[in-house]
Amino acid sequence: MMGQKTHAEQPESARTEGNSRVLDAIQSLGLLGVILIGGLLLSFASPVFFSRINIENLLFASTIIAVVAMGQAFVILVAGIDLAVGAVLALASVLGVVLATKAGLPVGLAALLALAAGTGIGLINGLAVTVLRLPALIATLAMMSITRGVAYLISDGRNIAPVPSVYVDIQGSRLFGVPMVIILTVLLGVLAHFVLTRTRFGREIYATGGNAVAARLAGIRTNRVIVIAYMISGFAAALGGLMITARLEAGAATAGFGYELTVISAVVIGGVSLFGGEGRIMGVLLGVILLGLVQNAVNLLNVPPNYDYVVSGAVIAAAATLDVYRRRLVESGLRRRTMTIRREKAQSRDAAQTRDAAQSAPPTRTGQT
Amino acid sequence: MTQHPRNAAKETRLTAGTPILFVDRVSKTFPGVIALDDVSLNVRAGEVNALVGENGAGKSTLIKLMSGNYTPDGGEITVGGHRLEATPADAHRAGIATIHQESHLVPNMTVAENIMLGHWPARYGIINGREQMRVARAAIARVAPDLSADTLAHRLSPAEGQLVEIARAISENSRVLIMDEPTTSLSGREIDQLFAVVRELKAQGMGIVFVSHWLEEVFAIADRVTVLRDGRLIGSEPAAALDPGKVIQMMVGRGVAQVTTSAHPLGDTVLKVSNLTRTGVVDDVSLAVRAGEIVTLAGLVGAGRTELANCIFGVDPYEAGVVEMAGQRLRPGNPRAAIDAGIGLVPEDRRNQALITNLSVSTNATLAVLDQIAPHGVLSAKREAEALAVATQSVKVKMASADVPISTLSGGNQQKVVLGRWLARNPKLLILDEPTKGIDIGSKAEINEIIVRLAREGTAILLISSEMPEVLSLSDRVLVMRSGRIVGEIKRENLSAEVVIALATSG
Repeated sequence: MMGQKTHAEQPESARTEGNSRVLDAIQSLGLLGVILIGGLLLSFASPVFFSRINIENLLFASTIIAVVAMGQAFVILVAGIDLAVGAVLALASVLGVVLATKAGLPVGLAALLALAAGTGIGLINGLAVTVLRLPALIATLAMMSITRGVAYLISDGRNIAPVPSVYVDIQGSRLFGVPMVIILTVLLGVLAHFVLTRTRFGREIYATGGNAVAARLAGIRTNRVIVIAYMISGFAAALGGLMITARLEAGAATAGFGYELTVISAVVIGGVSLFGGEGRIMGVLLGVILLGLVQNAVNLLNVPPNYDYVVSGAVIAAAATLDVYRRRLVESGLRRRTMTIRREKAQSRDAAQTRDAAQSAPPTRTGQT
Repeated sequence: MTQHPRNAAKETRLTAGTPILFVDRVSKTFPGVIALDDVSLNVRAGEVNALVGENGAGKSTLIKLMSGNYTPDGGEITVGGHRLEATPADAHRAGIATIHQESHLVPNMTVAENIMLGHWPARYGIINGREQMRVARAAIARVAPDLSADTLAHRLSPAEGQLVEIARAISENSRVLIMDEPTTSLSGREIDQLFAVVRELKAQGMGIVFVSHWLEEVFAIADRVTVLRDGRLIGSEPAAALDPGKVIQMMVGRGVAQVTTSAHPLGDTVLKVSNLTRTGVVDDVSLAVRAGEIVTLAGLVGAGRTELANCIFGVDPYEAGVVEMAGQRLRPGNPRAAIDAGIGLVPEDRRNQALITNLSVSTNATLAVLDQIAPHGVLSAKREAEALAVATQSVKVKMASADVPISTLSGGNQQKVVLGRWLARNPKLLILDEPTKGIDIGSKAEINEIIVRLAREGTAILLISSEMPEVLSLSDRVLVMRSGRIVGEIKRENLSAEVVIALATSG
């Protein structure tokens, strides 16, 4: 609704320049507006909402989803999808603990190996999609199952505890009174935003997702770009796994079950097009916060836990509907603009033709009647 | 069920020569192009009207208007006194059936189900299989008695598929049958069979519109030949009063052969292609382009020109042959290698192969020089601005700002950006595949001027063009392709539209 209003107020500026900027603003503002209004309503319903501790909890709880979602965003931006993230998260969680406690490796090395495993699974996903040309949905679905299975095999289905104390220490540490985990997530967000907007690789991501054929013909190695996007997603999911280990204080093969859907929802709510080539990290983070807000509301308002899924689903559907509606508005705006240009063109052409006709004899026509 | 008013017209048996379908002063414009300009024609009962013209003359647009796929911007199409609405369904109801170039059969349905597609005989939603079989068989019997009605459509040959589509038209009691290049995928025997069916339908009073590039076929089947050129009707005359030479002259027009380039010194050989073969599309092609030379590949759509360009640029792999740039052999199937060797390609389909439509003009213009504007992988705003300036200023792109999405530019300006994208790399060889397709006349002239200027400055140009005036005015040398082979080389001094068309269409 908000998006519609903004757009209607500025048809002239949208017509003349900066269409994409206006769109971006609508997208982000729209979502930010929903979050603010939602927050305001919540604060009336529950006095606890605006307390520092609740806001901090909300953000803290969102960090894992945020990290995994940012990785997923790279994949969706190249018009792919990565269903394996939840399973990768579990595998990394298990590996990070097992390698340190059972295999006796240094904690740091164990964590690095867990991250490498996640990145490697991303590599396999990417190769399956590009070299084998499997549909991303199928390739990553298979990988999801295999990875989850390996996590179970390693841990024998049990939670592995205790975890090295470093995990717990990082989890509990604060900088300027803000939990370290939140700060790290924000830093990752800044990094991802920088990569997407200010680097050659970011350009290649948008170009590949926007039109892979055109990108390839312009000399971009699209297959490589796609593979790296999946590797980033795998890495981010593994990082999420280490974070969840710290939170659960256990390496858990059951962790992150169903995360892939939550993560994809957050990315799409955040305005990243499932067709690729469109979307921003800021939007993804707002999408994550909106989902976190819903969860928070469910908790604060004592909604029976069985309604959880229903409420989340309804919010996702509403956000997606809003997005489709917004796109249609934008498209009709662009069409109007094209029509205007076309009409002006036709007029100038008619003028030119009249001139030509005055100079030379009209072409002969022998049409039947 | 109420009867559609137009069915009345459909069911009266018309005597030969009575006009059935009237196209009355129809115009159609697309962004930047006038596809059809004030065209009128009639389709008469019992007459085969062959529609001919060069690529881009407006044949396809006219067909899409008659089959209800496009709405005319001006004029109207009437059938039996009723104005045709611009929906395929209304065209069907009005008795107009169209056989498009691509098959419109549902692959996993049987011949019978396809013939009755969308009007299966049913009661309470349950299909009456026996009735369906009866009607379908009756229709097949008239076009292909040997074909089983139970065969699944995907098992049919292209020729059989076409006959099934004709059977569908018969079962719908169509009065007008439009066939868009029906013979392209048929063998000689199959063409004879098709023509026999067409003559049979004609004898029964059906009005037939037949599109073909092959003048031999046109004169074998047509009673009337209608010629379009640049979206205008040039003439519609009885076939008996014409011959292929006259039709070619009508297609080409007079006085278009303005030569704008003058002879200029050529440099060393830049591109050398030897015996390149990609099975089924490019057949043993050898050619060379020198610095400063404009070599044009002429020929019909489907002659293998785009496919050849794709092989040279490394988009598609090839089985045999060698592509060399300045003596260095290029790795097949690798566009990056071609680009690094100094080749740039402006592809035929701007929207699907060249533009990232949702991204800005600036991003699109600098897409081929990302390696230069992003030292160490981080984009440099200064270098990007410089590259953008090189890309857009030399081709004079008209735009509000370089930050607008490229989709908001006109076709001509979009094409200039695509061309500029390569100029920013300073290429040794530019492959331009229909660079002026679908853009307005002003931009066409500007792009042609740029091409000539680039050649003057020493760039080798391999041009693919289906626009005769362009071929005649720009080329230093023309290579005519047909069925994947180069069938003729015409030097500039011997160049004429008649020679090109004769080589491209005969045989």
